[in-house]
Amino acid sequence: MGFELAMVLGFFVVSGLALWALLFVGRFLRLRAPRPEKLTTYECGELPVGPAWFNFNNRFYLVALVFVALDVGVAAAIPLVVILREAAAGSGGWLVFLLLFGFLLLLAVALAYVWKKGDLRWLRDLPAPECAPVDTGRPEPKP
Amino acid sequence: MFGNLVSMRLLAPAVVLGAVALFLFLASAFVRRRETGRWLFPGAALIGLAAALVTLLETVRLQYLPDGYNCLLGGCTAFLGMLAYDPLAVFFQALVMLAAVAAVVLTVGSPAVPQARRGEYFGLILAMTVGMCLLVSANHLLMLYVALEAVSLCSYLLTGFDAKARSAEAGLKYALYGGVASAVMLFGLSWWYGLFGSLNLQSLHFCMLGSPALSPGESGAAVVALLFILAGFGFKIAAVPFHQWCPDAYEGAPTPIAALLSVAPKLSGFAVLLRFAFNLLFDPRDPETLAYAPAQLEWALWAIAALSALSMTIGNLAAIPQNNLKRLLAYSSIAHAGYLLMGVVGGSQGGIAAVSLYGAVYLVMNLGAFAVVAAVERATGSEDLLAFHGLAKRSPLLAVCMAVFLLALTGLPPTAGFVGKVYLFASLLKGGGSLPVILAVVGIVNTVISLYFYARVLRAMFLLPPEPGLPERIAPDGAGLLAAALAVLTLALGVFFGPLAMLAEWSAGFVR
Repeated sequence: MGFELAMVLGFFVVSGLALWALLFVGRFLRLRAPRPEKLTTYECGELPVGPAWFNFNNRFYLVALVFVALDVGVAAAIPLVVILREAAAGSGGWLVFLLLFGFLLLLAVALAYVWKKGDLRWLRDLPAPECAPVDTGRPEPKP
Repeated sequence: MFGNLVSMRLLAPAVVLGAVALFLFLASAFVRRRETGRWLFPGAALIGLAAALVTLLETVRLQYLPDGYNCLLGGCTAFLGMLAYDPLAVFFQALVMLAAVAAVVLTVGSPAVPQARRGEYFGLILAMTVGMCLLVSANHLLMLYVALEAVSLCSYLLTGFDAKARSAEAGLKYALYGGVASAVMLFGLSWWYGLFGSLNLQSLHFCMLGSPALSPGESGAAVVALLFILAGFGFKIAAVPFHQWCPDAYEGAPTPIAALLSVAPKLSGFAVLLRFAFNLLFDPRDPETLAYAPAQLEWALWAIAALSALSMTIGNLAAIPQNNLKRLLAYSSIAHAGYLLMGVVGGSQGGIAAVSLYGAVYLVMNLGAFAVVAAVERATGSEDLLAFHGLAKRSPLLAVCMAVFLLALTGLPPTAGFVGKVYLFASLLKGGGSLPVILAVVGIVNTVISLYFYARVLRAMFLLPPEPGLPERIAPDGAGLLAAALAVLTLALGVFFGPLAMLAEWSAGFVR
């Protein structure tokens, strides 16, 4: 164990030295062309729009969750078919079909629930919030 | 190992619960009339739980199938060893289902959960019960993790179900703590798998002590992995130092959910911890001749004992200044996690039986205490200690019930709590050695400390005058009746504990 840890220490030392050496050598080799654009966020003249800290519309979050329900269907169906390929080709075809169909039916329940609850519509009315909005101390995001 | 068809039959309780949960989700979307939902949702939930309990009894019959009842070598396992259906699993599955029944009954007349969201609410309770059923039978670390997450996700949602802002805050806090704890546990599991290439619980012992012997680096990594996994269990059972979420979550959650959280996930966490500790510490080839923990693994016992002592001491000391009954009961439940951990340290068949017995008793008395809090909250709109002032005059029934539960939680005779504590201490001291004696002394000192804050509530109820402005009388309602039934049960189990003790012994039968 002691030797293994010595290796780790060696890695730390060598990587620290290498970093320092590369920066030091680069100092002599590179051109010097300071420009104000290089100090901006993307360092190339592309200006960022608005602050990074703002509230995302939580409809995106709902859509992402609905996507998960459909995504799981694909993610589980394909391995199932691959594993049971022989059974599906033989006499067990109906069993595999029923297995997969039952699973997709369960996912359809999720879809039916979201649909009926109206969460698939992008624009929808919501009841007024029951508690006062929290003051985050940050400026309101621009729409 | 059971074949696939028997496995499906053993899974029946979870399937029934899952189907009813799905039905409740759909019904909450499609049932428009509020009056229909008022009886349909709790009715469906109760019918689903009753059906699950009946099918659970059927699985008990299946365990005595002729093809072998050898749970020790992974005999009672289903689905290629993923789930174990031994007496321990059956016993704790029954307990969590009964706790869910109590939570449904407590919710029915409660103002806490908005009527419009009750379909999802009951559906989530059932989904959580499915998770707990899988958790107590998990026999594979991956299954264990998935089941633990299923329970946790439902708990976070249910904690935030109240309309109050405090409830949402509690849910978020719980989710953040839980996310960290589960990430740590998963990290530990990944180390374990990287070291040994196996996640089967039956291989735990051989991984640590099998041949070839581990190099110092490997065994150090294995210890770290085990401690990380232990942190995940500690979160689920709310043991110090993983307990910080507990008082906030209970305070913010709707009272029926606080009642459910304080018993069901905790007990299922204990069931799976027992299974884990047993598989790690015992050599399954010859359990009779070996000590509970061989010398190389004694540190694990010390770690669990440290968790136990810390949970008892900090839980009880922190409960003393609490004026909110739900927070007080939260700290008391942390302390009880410590008491129950004593049984895990005690180990062997007696220790497991003691944890099962105390778990069942704890379920009855803690649900009862929360039922009284729910009844008082419903009448006065407050769960503060002030709302309990003079309760003996305003509602003698509730006050007497609460007194029974508090005495039982302290562990005084003639209540069931006394019997449970006797079994715990006896199982701890039977093994001998210095560790059990130290832990037992800590436990006894803590029992005395706990008497102080339970007695504060007794004093408020029986000796102090009622606060002005509170209702003169509190009529008994559903929660009150549940509390009365549980109080009778607490007293009855304190005197007539033979059958329960036998059941507990049976649940420990997987150690043979």
